[in-house]
Amino acid sequence: MQNIVKDFGHFRAVNDVTLKIASNEFFTLLGPSGCGKTTLLRMIAGFEMPTKGSILLDGAGIASLPPNQRPINTVFQNYALFPHMTVADNIGFGLKMLGRPKAEIEKTVADMIRLVRLDGREKNLVTQLSGGQQQRVALARALAPQPKVLLLDEPLSALDLKLRKSMQIELKRLQMETGITFVFVTHDQEEALTMSDRIAVMSEGQVRQIGSPWEIYDRPAERFVADFIGETNFLTAEVVSVSGDRARVRLASGAEIPASFPANTTPSGKVTVVVRPEHARAAPVSGASVLRGTIHDIVYLGTDTHLHVVLEDGTPFMVRQQNARSGPCGYDKGETLGIELSDDVAQILRD
Amino acid sequence: MARQFSVKRLPGFSTIAMICFIGLYMPIVTLVVYAFNAGTSIAVWEGFSLRWFYSAWNNTQVVDASIRSLQIAFCAAIVATVVATMAAIATTRTAQYRGLTFKYAFINLPLLVPEIVTAVALLIFFSQIKVYTGYSGLGYLIAAHAAFCIPFAYLPIRARLESMDLTLERAAADLYATPFQAFRYVTLPLLWPGILAGMILGFVISLDDVVITEFVKSGGQDTLPTYMLGQLRRVVTPEMNAISTVFLLLSFAIVTIFFFLSRNEKTS
Ligand SMILES: Nc1ncnc2c1ncn2[C@@H]1O[C@H](COP(=O)(O)OP(=O)(O)O)[C@@H](O)[C@H]1O
Ligand SMILES: [Mg+2]
Repeated sequence: MQNIVKDFGHFRAVNDVTLKIASNEFFTLLGPSGCGKTTLLRMIAGFEMPTKGSILLDGAGIASLPPNQRPINTVFQNYALFPHMTVADNIGFGLKMLGRPKAEIEKTVADMIRLVRLDGREKNLVTQLSGGQQQRVALARALAPQPKVLLLDEPLSALDLKLRKSMQIELKRLQMETGITFVFVTHDQEEALTMSDRIAVMSEGQVRQIGSPWEIYDRPAERFVADFIGETNFLTAEVVSVSGDRARVRLASGAEIPASFPANTTPSGKVTVVVRPEHARAAPVSGASVLRGTIHDIVYLGTDTHLHVVLEDGTPFMVRQQNARSGPCGYDKGETLGIELSDDVAQILRD
Repeated sequence: MARQFSVKRLPGFSTIAMICFIGLYMPIVTLVVYAFNAGTSIAVWEGFSLRWFYSAWNNTQVVDASIRSLQIAFCAAIVATVVATMAAIATTRTAQYRGLTFKYAFINLPLLVPEIVTAVALLIFFSQIKVYTGYSGLGYLIAAHAAFCIPFAYLPIRARLESMDLTLERAAADLYATPFQAFRYVTLPLLWPGILAGMILGFVISLDDVVITEFVKSGGQDTLPTYMLGQLRRVVTPEMNAISTVFLLLSFAIVTIFFFLSRNEKTS
């Protein structure tokens, strides 16, 4: 996809998006609601025409083809199953429209039924199925014609938490088994991190960062990405030196630590550095402490304890400690402590 | 705890409701009762008999008019439904554009034009065509009935189309259906209840039209309502009641059949 722009009247829903999605990839568009994910997906499917830009599939431009001529299928957010057809007829619909012989359709439908584990449900009307089963019919229907690309628009958002977790695993399995490229849309960062090969984080119609789940999480390029995904601490710092792909920065406490920075930038002067709460440790103040502060609040969460610390310069900072032992964490509110960082955990943000 | 408001507790509500119901249904009940009168009066009860039903059945004029009414209603309803379905699809499956609201109004305008105006206009219009073509069959009545049935058929079809999930048609297109296939395999099956409702509405409306038929019909083209109107000018016997009763039953039957058809649709 190159320089895609989509306007609705004066409103720019998608602004200059360029993406390259590899075949067999599980690619996720992640962003808050209203950021243009669905619009982008609809342009790939062919329900909307880009105002500007081109969409290529295996090198051929498809932006002006109608949806029925694109080898791309969609799993709709509300499933959009045909209520007057049986499970088998729904799944076989695409192949029937492609004019495939009856025997082939029957065989593929049977394979699909097995793939999504709906054995024995072939003759049911789709309205007689539960939400999770309908979801799987929608998947099977979109997979049956073996599209080059499968588009999924928040397909799990209507399911309850437990079902969602098992469908996440199921989806990943289906993608591996079929080898079809999945383009998955979600606003749920955890979902994106669990399933994706690569993630594009979007906001206000623009792609902010593209990368593998760990790059997105550990090496956010800008404040929006760092803030949107997980919890994070923002610290102001000053760049001391840059060598190769690492910089040394001096924190407000005076300590100097190494930090990574986004590609194609050269950090200098005052910068913002992010540190994930689980990459920091609380300890008595010592030579190893890079930061110092007082405990403002302690939140016990079962698996973890969150220590909300106020640093000497007034900046809030959170430390997440795993509760490796049972019992309270051993600190009290108001106590002064030092904070140590694991190696190579700080990341400089692009301004 | 405050009691929930119920209109039933307003003073006089029940009384007024009863008066309304009696006003609405008493005349119909009376009409049906006197259809079984053994005497020749429609006001003096002389015992139970089915003679007026036999008499109507043996009256060739009544039978001819009934058959003609059904023919016209059937053809007009089908023509009107086809046109209305196309109009409904054209006005709902399109992007909003200037003048769309005007089109809705335009399609529904016949509902507002006084029937007598339509009748006179059609009379003049058709008489000119008659002069040119020499044709004077039922076609004129069918065309006229189809014309005023279109808005009635249009409304339920459009309502159904508007309540239909648009993503279903998108899903069909996404699954390689051409626009025609999407219509044939997805839109049309889901639209059936609306089309059927439109057709039945058109049928019933056509069946009891008087004004337009009276103006447009040629000699010997009486429909049941215009025949009855003609008879009323002479003697009135309970035969009229008998015909009306059969008419009433027919309408009930159609509406009931439709009700069950559409209910099945929902439960399945
Ligand atoms: N057909 C449309 N007409 C006008 N505005 C639209 C249309 N579709 C989407 N938008 C607007 O474009 C923005 C992006 O929408 P969408 O792509 O659905 O976001 P997301 O899927 O990320 O929640 C929203 O602000 C939405 O209001
Ligand atoms: Mg969306």
